[in-house]
Amino acid sequence: MSPIYINGSGCISPQETATGGLLLASLREYEQVRLATVDPDYKQWIDVKQIRRMSRVVKMGVGAANLSLEEAGVAMPDAIITGTAYGCLDDTGVFLTKMVNQQEEMLTPTAFIQSTHNTVGGQISLLLGCNAYNNTFVHRGFSFENSLLDAIMILKEGSAKHVLAGGLDEITNYSHDILTRFGLYKKAPVKTMELLNSPTRGTIAGEGAAFFTLSMEKGDHAAAAVTGLSTLYKPMWEGEVIGHIVKFLEDNDCTPADIDLLLTGRNGDIDQDEMYEEVAAALFPDHAEASFKHLCGEYPTATAFGLWMANRMMAEQAVPAAAAFYGKAPERLRKILLYNHHQGTHHSLILLTAC
Amino acid sequence: MEDLKKQIIEQLNLQEVTPESISNDQPLFKEGLGLDSIDALELIVLLQQHYNIRIANPEQGPEIFYSIRSMAEFITAQQTAKA
Repeated sequence: MSPIYINGSGCISPQETATGGLLLASLREYEQVRLATVDPDYKQWIDVKQIRRMSRVVKMGVGAANLSLEEAGVAMPDAIITGTAYGCLDDTGVFLTKMVNQQEEMLTPTAFIQSTHNTVGGQISLLLGCNAYNNTFVHRGFSFENSLLDAIMILKEGSAKHVLAGGLDEITNYSHDILTRFGLYKKAPVKTMELLNSPTRGTIAGEGAAFFTLSMEKGDHAAAAVTGLSTLYKPMWEGEVIGHIVKFLEDNDCTPADIDLLLTGRNGDIDQDEMYEEVAAALFPDHAEASFKHLCGEYPTATAFGLWMANRMMAEQAVPAAAAFYGKAPERLRKILLYNHHQGTHHSLILLTAC
Repeated sequence: MEDLKKQIIEQLNLQEVTPESISNDQPLFKEGLGLDSIDALELIVLLQQHYNIRIANPEQGPEIFYSIRSMAEFITAQQTAKA
């Protein structure tokens, strides 16, 4: 695959990722089952008259998109592509609550308008005055991966020079309560830096937004390029995942030996982490492994945070101690393989190569 | 009129705006308070929710929602007519 350069990136997460500086230099440690974003001052990007209608996830998306474009030095992208599984949950909750409480009478328009999944992509385009291609992918655990795939295809077609692509999701009181009933989360608070060694089922909830300014041309601030992307839905067993990874690496002209760092979506759920154990043991037994979900929590588009972190590791040529899980990464990071699965059904691979 | 200002600020989630900062005769839309068409719909709902007033003729909208004073006068007139 031709390299797709990450010329700029921006992230708003439960870590202090919006303020610049070295990756995880100011580590935020939590002891809870639900992580919320560390919000920057959104008024630096959004007019006070417009911000009043925006829910948290919209502000997160607009903030991360602006950080990405600023880093890339791109004022106007040729396409805006977002991926979100849950969309604008908060405003959906507001609208539905009013609908019930007011017996479908006297409903206000703002919450309804802001409750659609493509609100974030729409708001970014409105603020930029960008009339170019605008699409939102709502594909559960593949939402971000499919937005990235769309960006790659558009760039390869040559119909865009700079594409802004990102993934984002928020967690609200309603969604957290519902997902908790599904048994997704730990029953008791857990220290985030001890999460990955937790011996119990469930994980911690998270949220965030990460955007990337992508191009076929290397920008001044590019440290890495996406050189491979693949998804695998509902594999029957571990062997299918391992076979898929081997084929993925072959398709991208490399072997496990070429991978300098395996970045996994371990989330501290003993059932779900078993897959990462199997993959690491079969293909990367002596490799350094790092993880990211103990830093951002679990959500369907968490791979966007993972990719943002991998890109920063490439830029800094270092793996922060807070992200390291196993082994020691080589001094020179050339290739990082990001392997994530969401709920055991949505498996994805992203290959990042230094440039 | 002070209550109406508070209700508008709450309904429209106006930030960095206080009742004292809105003058009674200041235009609510465009160059005044800067409200837009979505806010107009919110104001129509506000009248229904707080004062049980429905605007029968939409063409009256610009006149009714011109300022705090014009809204207050419309509410008073409607309440007097109902009484």
